[in-house]
Amino acid sequence: MEKILVVARKEVLENLRSARYWGLVALFVLFYVASTYAIGFAIRGFGATLAGRQRVVLQLSTNVVNAFAYIAPLLGIALGFGAVAAEREKGTIRLVLSRPIYRDDLLNGKLIAAVVLIVAALALSTLIAVPLAVALQGVNVTAEDFARLLLLLAPALLLALAYYSISLFTSVNASRSSHALMVSLVLWIFFTFVLPIVASLIAFHVLGPPPAITFRPNATRPFQPGQEPAQLREYFQKYSQIVRTVQLASPNARFQELSSALFATRQQTGAYEELSKVLSSHWIDVAVLAAYIAAFLLLSYIFFLRRQETR
Amino acid sequence: MVEHAIETEGLVKVYRGRGGEVRALDGVDLRVPRGVLFGLFGPNGSGKTTLISVLIGLQLPTSGSARVLGFDSVRESLEIRRRVGVLPENYGFYEHMTARENLEYLGRLDGMPARELKRRVSEVLELVGLKEWADAKVKGFSRGMTQRLALAQALLKDPELLLLDEPTLGLDPQSVALFKGLMEELVKQGKTILVSTHLLQELGHICTHAALIRRGRILAQGSLQELSKAYREARGYGYEISVAAGAEELVRELRGIEGVTYVALENDVIRVRARQDVTEQLSSIASKYRVRSLVPLAPSWDELYRFYQGERE
Repeated sequence: MEKILVVARKEVLENLRSARYWGLVALFVLFYVASTYAIGFAIRGFGATLAGRQRVVLQLSTNVVNAFAYIAPLLGIALGFGAVAAEREKGTIRLVLSRPIYRDDLLNGKLIAAVVLIVAALALSTLIAVPLAVALQGVNVTAEDFARLLLLLAPALLLALAYYSISLFTSVNASRSSHALMVSLVLWIFFTFVLPIVASLIAFHVLGPPPAITFRPNATRPFQPGQEPAQLREYFQKYSQIVRTVQLASPNARFQELSSALFATRQQTGAYEELSKVLSSHWIDVAVLAAYIAAFLLLSYIFFLRRQETR
Repeated sequence: MVEHAIETEGLVKVYRGRGGEVRALDGVDLRVPRGVLFGLFGPNGSGKTTLISVLIGLQLPTSGSARVLGFDSVRESLEIRRRVGVLPENYGFYEHMTARENLEYLGRLDGMPARELKRRVSEVLELVGLKEWADAKVKGFSRGMTQRLALAQALLKDPELLLLDEPTLGLDPQSVALFKGLMEELVKQGKTILVSTHLLQELGHICTHAALIRRGRILAQGSLQELSKAYREARGYGYEISVAAGAEELVRELRGIEGVTYVALENDVIRVRARQDVTEQLSSIASKYRVRSLVPLAPSWDELYRFYQGERE
């Protein structure tokens, strides 16, 4: 355990000194703060009614979840792609592995450091951005809202760790860190941009175009919110189901489902859903994210232990 | 205590790639006695680095076995790495960390207690002449400074065995001299050093024992005397006699000794070659003259390498 902590400590300190880590934290804060501008509009538009407050919170949570969905994977990739490949590239791995240290201790130390650094980055950006949102846009964040925002760190950590595990696996098997980075980014692009489009295309292909809606004369909207025609509602329910099924294995989609559920409120009272209820209805999201972490970490350990450092 | 610091038997290491099979080690039987400066001499690609990697368990042998300080290189590699200091080839340091921070990190991985580590880091930095650069980032270090730091990390835990892979490669003469001086000093302290190099002329003369390796096979191994014996028996014995007076008369007398094939005088120095060992006859004749010195010539490691290479091929 002692050597694991030695590795973890060195990794944490090295990253805290790196511009790359702080650049990502800054990007995070920027995303967060930028998202509060949209919330400003929401506040002005919906006023202080219960429904209005629900919309503001929904807007805030959607923006924050989106920010996390983009940045958390990048954070995981940034910490993972060089974990082994960069050490191999620089030759430090030969000095480290010529010490009395088990190879899995080296990976364990790096994993602990990654958890610490990810939690620190997520918590820090939340703690900076939320007060900024309150001060700049007048968002009324209650203690419960804030608690939910902090709770969001858990799925964000899972998402970041899923990408960390993927990029650690590529790092273990690559001789150059740039190769590991490239493969990790391709996977990120696939899950973030390509798969949602593919899922939509599949849904359209299966269901065909949505049913036609007849506008009433002089109406600005075809229907009031919540009063859409049953035919249309059914269409989009099926559409969502197909999209969800196609993206079942996507860590990004699982994170977004889980995170959005954390901010789901009860219609009448506006109170948040109980956590146990959220978890029981979204256990599959947690399971998929955990499966990514477990599978790719396991593969990383197996390949790293078996790999012989020839150069 | 085991007799040999390193002992290998039929060590084979095969790399399999798209281009086919490469036998990096092809049945290596190596014996490195304790307390000597042992040279592992061979050209690039002869298997030196692979052998060192196998010895410390960084790579697994395809077949055969290796014992280092009595520990098996496959099953007990951790025990080996606890006791052996290694200066690998193609190493690198954490460039954004200082020399001291790098050593402290590596020392902690060695399991050294904090107080001892602090003292030892200062000691080894001074030993390799980097005391003034202790708190400078490694990023700005020259090749020579980095190599000194690499030696410092190998010495950190005060190991009983040092494995140095091409330690003087790319170094300036001053650093080479420092390395050689340190190695000789460490052997005097009772440590065993295995130094691998293709620069036989640079490090050969400080090694008392060596193994000559080529294409993954040991051509010959032993002390300089042992290896020279076969060479002399095949190529003859050489002597150098420095004379104060009467050199020409001595030359005439030397030519009369049975087995002497060549005698030449140059600036009061007589060079003699003979088919067999004529040391006794030479001493007896030389005692009648004003001779400053009579030295049997030892072949250089370069000559020995060429000789044994020729013997094998």
